[in-house]
Amino acid sequence: MCEPKATRTVNVTNSAGIHARAATLIAELVRRSDARVSLIKDRERVDATEVLQILSLGTRCGEQISFEATGSDAQRVLDALVQLFADNFGEDQKRIQEAESPQ
Amino acid sequence: MKFADFVSPEAIRAQLTATDKEGAIREMVQALLDAGRIRADELESIVKAILKREELGSTGIGRGVAVPHTKHPSVDRLVGTVAVSSPGVDFASLDGETVQLFFLLISPPDCPGDHLRALENISRQLRDDTFCRFLKQAKSAEEIQQLLDEADNNQFG
Repeated sequence: MCEPKATRTVNVTNSAGIHARAATLIAELVRRSDARVSLIKDRERVDATEVLQILSLGTRCGEQISFEATGSDAQRVLDALVQLFADNFGEDQKRIQEAESPQ
Repeated sequence: MKFADFVSPEAIRAQLTATDKEGAIREMVQALLDAGRIRADELESIVKAILKREELGSTGIGRGVAVPHTKHPSVDRLVGTVAVSSPGVDFASLDGETVQLFFLLISPPDCPGDHLRALENISRQLRDDTFCRFLKQAKSAEEIQQLLDEADNNQFG
């Protein structure tokens, strides 16, 4: 029997790109779901639960990546990931701006 | 970007003595000071900035690796160091494991590109299990430096 599978493409619009905190938010979100999720950039595919693997893609602002999810939770986790990117990983919040760029 | 572009050889530490997160960060920043990479009057400010960044979420990214970092106006180029703790340090990592291998980075405020490229290089090299294991088992700064040089020369992965 085929498991549900879905794909979404997102644009990276936060100025810092997918840095450590952003990669951690992605991995945490995927780890909380039951779906298996891959992150794909330029034909390179990595496990979206692994921060090290996400960071190894070196994704910059303005670049495009895709997520491919498999499992009953696939659609829901992709919706949440798209929202995370739309929110620029919460980087508009003052507390985060201060900690990322002190003084 | 290569390790040689941001790792200060004189600041590499093979045997961290600290047993907690703040202590480990302090020891690595002190190593950068001893290597002449940062100014003494900036040490406290840098340590505080790195700890503040940790409050947003641990930089313990799993597999026994952490990348504590901050932007700081006192540096005009990316500076970093590597440290190993054989017993491991509790860093509140994503996967709950202790951290044996640290890459600490301080970057100028307006240079997100270099920071991202350094993270890319570190994580790409660490995807090679042999490189990661050898680094964690390294017993001297010279041994760590040699492994970084070999990685820079594409001898892993």
